[in-house]
Amino acid sequence: MTGLLDDTRAALARAINVYAGTEDGDRLTQLRTRLDEPLRVAVAGRIKAGKSTLLNALVGERLAPTDAGECTRIVTWYADGHTYRVTAEMTDGEQQQLTFHRDEGVIDVDLGGLPPEKVTRLLVTWPSARLRTATLIDTPGIGSLSESVAQRTWDLLSPSDSDTAEAPADAVLYLLRHLHSHDLEFLRAFHDTEVSQPNPVNAIGVLSRADEIGVGKLDSMTSAGKIAARMATDPVVRTVVQTVVPVAGLLAETAATLTETEVAQLRRVAELPVADADALLLTADRFATRMPELGLTSTEREELLDRFGLFGIRLATSVLRHRVAATATELAAVLTERSGVGELNELLRSLFFDRRDVLKSRSVLAALDALTRASPRPGSEAVAADVERIMASAHPFQELRVLSAIRAGWVTGKPAVLDDLEHLIGGAGAGISQRLRLSDDEGHDALVAAAAEALDRWQRRAENPLTRHQLAVAARVAIRSCEGMLSELGRSS
Amino acid sequence: MAMASQPAGKEAVARATAAVAAGIKACEAYDRPDLAKRLERAATSLAEPSVPVVVVGEFKQGKSSLVNALVGANICPVDDDVATAIPTSVSYGEQQRAELIFEGEPPAREPIDLGDVRRWVVESDPVTAAVEPEPQDTNRGRPVGAEVTLPRKLLSGGLTLVDTPGVGGLGSAHAAASLAAASMADALVFVTDASQELTASERDFLIKARNLCSAVVCVLTKTDFYPRWRTIAELNAKHLRDLGDPPIIPVSSTLRSQAAATGDTALNAESGFPELVTFLTAQVGGAAAQRRAATAAGEVATACTQIEAQFEAERSALDNPKQAKRVVAELTEAKERASALKSAAAKWSQTLTDGVTDLTSDIEHDLRGRIRTVLQEASDAIDESDPADTWHEMEAWLEARVAHELIENYTMLRDRAIELSERVGEHFREASGGVLDAIAVRNPEPMLAGAKIDHKIELERMKVGKQAMVALKSAYGGAIMFVMLGTLTGISLGPIALGIGLVMGRKGLRDEKKRQRNARQSQAKNAVRRYCDEVSFVAQKDSRDTIRRIQRELRDYYTGLADEFNTSNAAALQRANEAAARTKSERTKRLSDIDAEMARLKQLREHAMAVTS
Repeated sequence: MTGLLDDTRAALARAINVYAGTEDGDRLTQLRTRLDEPLRVAVAGRIKAGKSTLLNALVGERLAPTDAGECTRIVTWYADGHTYRVTAEMTDGEQQQLTFHRDEGVIDVDLGGLPPEKVTRLLVTWPSARLRTATLIDTPGIGSLSESVAQRTWDLLSPSDSDTAEAPADAVLYLLRHLHSHDLEFLRAFHDTEVSQPNPVNAIGVLSRADEIGVGKLDSMTSAGKIAARMATDPVVRTVVQTVVPVAGLLAETAATLTETEVAQLRRVAELPVADADALLLTADRFATRMPELGLTSTEREELLDRFGLFGIRLATSVLRHRVAATATELAAVLTERSGVGELNELLRSLFFDRRDVLKSRSVLAALDALTRASPRPGSEAVAADVERIMASAHPFQELRVLSAIRAGWVTGKPAVLDDLEHLIGGAGAGISQRLRLSDDEGHDALVAAAAEALDRWQRRAENPLTRHQLAVAARVAIRSCEGMLSELGRSS
Repeated sequence: MAMASQPAGKEAVARATAAVAAGIKACEAYDRPDLAKRLERAATSLAEPSVPVVVVGEFKQGKSSLVNALVGANICPVDDDVATAIPTSVSYGEQQRAELIFEGEPPAREPIDLGDVRRWVVESDPVTAAVEPEPQDTNRGRPVGAEVTLPRKLLSGGLTLVDTPGVGGLGSAHAAASLAAASMADALVFVTDASQELTASERDFLIKARNLCSAVVCVLTKTDFYPRWRTIAELNAKHLRDLGDPPIIPVSSTLRSQAAATGDTALNAESGFPELVTFLTAQVGGAAAQRRAATAAGEVATACTQIEAQFEAERSALDNPKQAKRVVAELTEAKERASALKSAAAKWSQTLTDGVTDLTSDIEHDLRGRIRTVLQEASDAIDESDPADTWHEMEAWLEARVAHELIENYTMLRDRAIELSERVGEHFREASGGVLDAIAVRNPEPMLAGAKIDHKIELERMKVGKQAMVALKSAYGGAIMFVMLGTLTGISLGPIALGIGLVMGRKGLRDEKKRQRNARQSQAKNAVRRYCDEVSFVAQKDSRDTIRRIQRELRDYYTGLADEFNTSNAAALQRANEAAARTKSERTKRLSDIDAEMARLKQLREHAMAVTS
């Protein structure tokens, strides 16, 4: 993999030379730093899909403001940094540091009289271990009633043709609330077109607000799991995201920031007779107003509703009643597990973070490609040739291309064969055990044996004259993937 | 106001029913079975009203739960995952009954078990569909709707709830079909849940709905689950302020169902449903009842006018025996005019025939123009992009774009049809007034004070201008609605064979990509053209059928009236001849009889006029 990053750096260096002194020069220098920075993951989706809530859950802190109405109106970047700081980047390129205060953890930024439409993005730097692996980008929702707000997200994720700027995000978490036609339209737009065709490689679908699917029934997450699984097999969805996982963002966010005070408050409800508790929790309105003898003020009740949602309160009180958990730490663990965020983190690791070099190179090469087309100048042809050579020959890109071809239905074959192929080329994660569909604790020898067997299998398939042309091309990529695994296993032994 | 119009509507219907019954008696007494028949039809429409209310909303907003909770039965399928795929109507019936309606001409019906409705109306799951193939008959098409009747008090006023599929989104051709269907309903219930404020596509839909539907109500569902539903309701109210400010009714279907199961009235009140029920029965049902009553009253008045005309002719003949000959002569002459009213050469008939021809060609021309614009835009868009990347966006865009044009085209059809029926009505009225005057054969001497009657049939009262809508609505409650709802769902752009090969290796990567891209672009254009052709074909057939229905209904209506005039004329002629033969004492007696009859008719007419006051 380092080979790819080095190649990309070399191509970039050449481009910086060629474009030195032009207005594009500065941007190229910034691209170089991008290769060394954490992966940029955008959290996107329709309006009110729960993007900010999920972002908070991933960071493990309540940073992004969330509200019942439309909330995020400016694209906000959350990056690791030494100091707590909020900077506004203006449409004219100016940067301005802003004051802010934290209201129960949430960052409340004072725009200081700046008109919001003049601010292209807010950059929040925050010392956080989680942000060291990835810079997270919170986006306003698509489908907002305010046209300009929605346009910002479009601009962020799919720079228009005339604009030669690179796509700012390397990967995207796309929040879906049940399948909606706009979601797919949006996802399509996000995928850049050059490195490979419509591409599920850099996107994971999240069935968000999963706790709301059953409208509060305790088995909501099971329903959500089924729906997510079905969505993930939908041929259209498969062409745009790698997979779909259900996440109850609010539950995850609250679990990450749960306090003992809250647990004590919930315990009062848990200690009620079951029938009384059920009657109280029948509706959100009832919980907010009934049973004064409970000893919770209306403000406390409303805060609990905001923090947990009705589903969360039902779930947490039932967990406390059955003594599955007693302390905040224990309850947080149960809620986190139920929220599905653990599975999402695992996917982020195997699909994005393990592949960060490829994804970052991809963003940079795409930017260079766009630039050389849009503003050719002496020497830029050599840069374009570099880019094309890397894109066409680098094995990780070939894997991505085959993967999207399978997903798009261009490579056909028996489902089991395609499934095997998809895994081998890293479709379910770039790690060796994932490629070979073995568990993580499998021994070295077993991995080698499996890789050798796969190599043999695909060599035969590639050489078989009856194999269709497209599958044979894909098979040669799979062979290289197997060889790569064997050589890596050889090094590590 | 909401509470007041309920009894007003009911009372008006009661008054109209009484007036119609009296009218039927009078028609029978005066030996006019043709008029009695017309009034019997009016009586039927009063007794068996149909008030369709269409429930529309984005995917998974709780439309089916709402309908179930309203009628207190598990009719429409509610599931966390699968969604309603075909429309289901629920109306009043003394027996629980369910029928499936299949596509076809005429649509076939097949009774099914009430419990099986859900199996038919959900989106077919590819997994189970493979295991259990749908019983497909080659003779009948795909199911386009399900009709359920239930013995529920709520529905007894004629309310018919139609649960529509939310599939495809509000911007799809399918949504356009729902909207067209809803434009003929008495109200549109727009369902949105309390999880978030209205989205842009929901608002767009409401803007269109507002122009097409007489009454719109926005129902905010799932208030039990979302603590902030009040905030959402306020935000929605703000978004709707400039859209005629439709009422927003927050409800919880869960609470309503639970209340129904336990008979808990307090819980029912908490569910917010009583307000919705009041809106549907009082506001929507009340307005519909008022309209029905007014129509029936107009029919009674028309019948009175015709009978009165006969009596007047007789009286003129009786009053002055010297005149009798003239009266007979004039009536004989009027006969020609009355039969001319019936003939194809009558002005109203000409207006109708010409108008329908013009309307058909104008609507088709308009649609063609619109589709051509869409095709051009699509082709430009395809030239600028690679369908491999943009095809899906293209599909969504095209559907929404075509839907928009179809709605515009349909709106034009509707407006023009109303205009046409107004013109036909106007021409009929002009001609018929003269005919009725001729039938009445006024005595040249001044009439008794107060006996002067204006021989204009009460067409204004019947709002005959809306006859086109009446024509459509009369057939609407049944299969036609489902067909309208379903016609455009069957058409889809479908995937195009993108024909993309894997290209590996450095050489020619760019050229090969370009070649493939060109191939994809031409494929995409073909697919778009096919889609537009298919949509035009279906839409054209739909609008032709609609126009034909309007034409038939208008023609039958006015021909029927003209027939009645002829009968009136014949009766008047007969009586005038009789009058000439009477002795003086007979004449005096008959005159006072006629005055008494006229007074009775006047009273009946006044009753009819008072129905909606």
